[in-house]
Amino acid sequence: MPAQLTRIDEVVWELPAAARADMRVPARVFADSELLDAIARDDSLEQLQNVATLPGIVEAAIAMPDIHQGYGFPVGTVAATALPDGVVSPGGVGYDINCGVRLLALPLSSAELGERKQQLVHELARAIPAGIGRGAGRALAGVDFDAVLVDGPRSLVGHEIATEDDVERTESGGRLAGADPGCVSKRARERGEPQLGTMGSGNHFVELQRVERVCDADGAGAFGIAEGQVTVLIHSGSRGLGHQVCSDYVAMMDAALGRHGIELPDRQLSCAPASSPDGRAYLAAMAAAANFAWANRQVIAHRVRLAVRKVIGAEAARTTRQVYDVVHNVAKLERYGRRELCVHRKGATRAFPAGSEEIPAAYRDVGQPVFIPGSMGTSSFVLAGREAAMQRSFGTVCHGAGRCLSRTAARKRVSGSELRRELEAAGITVRSPSNRGLAEEAPFAYKAVEKVVGVVERAGLANVVAELRPIGVVKG
Amino acid sequence: MTVYRWVEHTGEVELEIEADSERQVFVDAMAALRELLSDGDDGQADATGAQLVERTISLAAEDRPRLLAAWLGELAFLAETQGLVPEALSVLRLGEGVIDANVCARVADPPHLIKAVTYHRLAFEAHGERWRARAVLDV
Repeated sequence: MPAQLTRIDEVVWELPAAARADMRVPARVFADSELLDAIARDDSLEQLQNVATLPGIVEAAIAMPDIHQGYGFPVGTVAATALPDGVVSPGGVGYDINCGVRLLALPLSSAELGERKQQLVHELARAIPAGIGRGAGRALAGVDFDAVLVDGPRSLVGHEIATEDDVERTESGGRLAGADPGCVSKRARERGEPQLGTMGSGNHFVELQRVERVCDADGAGAFGIAEGQVTVLIHSGSRGLGHQVCSDYVAMMDAALGRHGIELPDRQLSCAPASSPDGRAYLAAMAAAANFAWANRQVIAHRVRLAVRKVIGAEAARTTRQVYDVVHNVAKLERYGRRELCVHRKGATRAFPAGSEEIPAAYRDVGQPVFIPGSMGTSSFVLAGREAAMQRSFGTVCHGAGRCLSRTAARKRVSGSELRRELEAAGITVRSPSNRGLAEEAPFAYKAVEKVVGVVERAGLANVVAELRPIGVVKG
Repeated sequence: MTVYRWVEHTGEVELEIEADSERQVFVDAMAALRELLSDGDDGQADATGAQLVERTISLAAEDRPRLLAAWLGELAFLAETQGLVPEALSVLRLGEGVIDANVCARVADPPHLIKAVTYHRLAFEAHGERWRARAVLDV
């Protein structure tokens, strides 16, 4: 544990800017003592201090309680730079640009689903391509790829893949302005175009769940979820398109650091002033990748509805409603008081409070919905953003449980086939193309999501609305 | 003698290579990727009977670390877009900032995705008469 780490309050810790000569602002961590012990075991805090060196960073480099070691930015970080001179860092967004989670609410309870659960999980696995993703294997007829990059899921409304209601219930309306397909490389398109509507691998999943308990009746009422109800949580991102956009611009900005007069402790933090031609080109490409990611989750949601139609019926599919879609890897231009900031959220989720015009009118009285997936086999949580988040974390909360064990260590402790049997014994139907991938995502490889969410709630950043328990999972 | 090993990393996958020559670093990097892209609980795959194809790769970069990142990135790209798992090299020419190679690859359906090769802790350095390299992969 760094000697200069100071406890600010019950759940906030801070390394002062003076802790290192190159830090411009403090490094701040939301955690309790137990989570902090886990955080201090890897390179997370050193990486957070590296983030605090970025030109133009304001307030602090802020870590959420699910922070873990990453590359460049630790996963679970929010960092805001002041425009026009502050930088944008592609590595501070990450390779899976606009990765996020989308929650669908089905019009029936788990009791009503009954024996059909197995068939529904089976149909979800058939309908949604998973794995490394050499394409969806099925063309999306008539879809204009440039329109997807510019308009996201809105471009799919006319194709009966998205509804106006889906688009409305998506962060930023499913579209970042300023997307320019011309700033996306040929290779990025080549990787991404055949992958529209695919899950990918690693920690991506589509999970069938039951609303285990409601903690905030007003919030749950506004979000349209009730105890016992069946939900589907989709976790995926911008696939090869986003990965390549990030690769292209990390390399480009790394080569241009000298020209911009920027020195960094880690090449993966490579960056450029957000208002420079390099910065603007990245933001235009990133917006295109973000719109692609929203469209990707939209096509997956469409495929969930096809599976629901096949197993439960057409009316159930028609009334399978999107609660919301939130993002945890992106940089956004946001205004806080008089300052216009470039807010990097790397493994961190926007959580705006009640009253914000940035959230759908239907949720404006209760706050923005936020979904925090647990590890495989454990609960996920529905939260609502609160006002304190705007003062303490640039309107941001955590994004998941956060890894605490490496993939290798997880594989040493359990085999994929053993884990599959354990989950099935716990009543969770599992479909996964890879036993190794399954073992790497074992629940013990993650921190306890209840503790992570508890810190967020105690810090006043968001409140818990409902707990969701898995009853089936399709893994990437 | 050559060695590559996977270093514990909470979030991603970190590869370390120590080799007798610069050329061997690239050979070992390919072997490591082959292991990563192969499935099964033991991380190995049976290539018997698999269809083999050859791909020509030509890359340029400003320095050796970036060239290593580009090399790994190109192999990951072939895996993602064509389902190819690298098996052997029939040609490997290494010049000042360039690499030309013919890769013999198995047509497979690797389930493990390598999103990208990061610049975090990226290294390629001489240590006495040996070479050490490191790359962190986003998986």
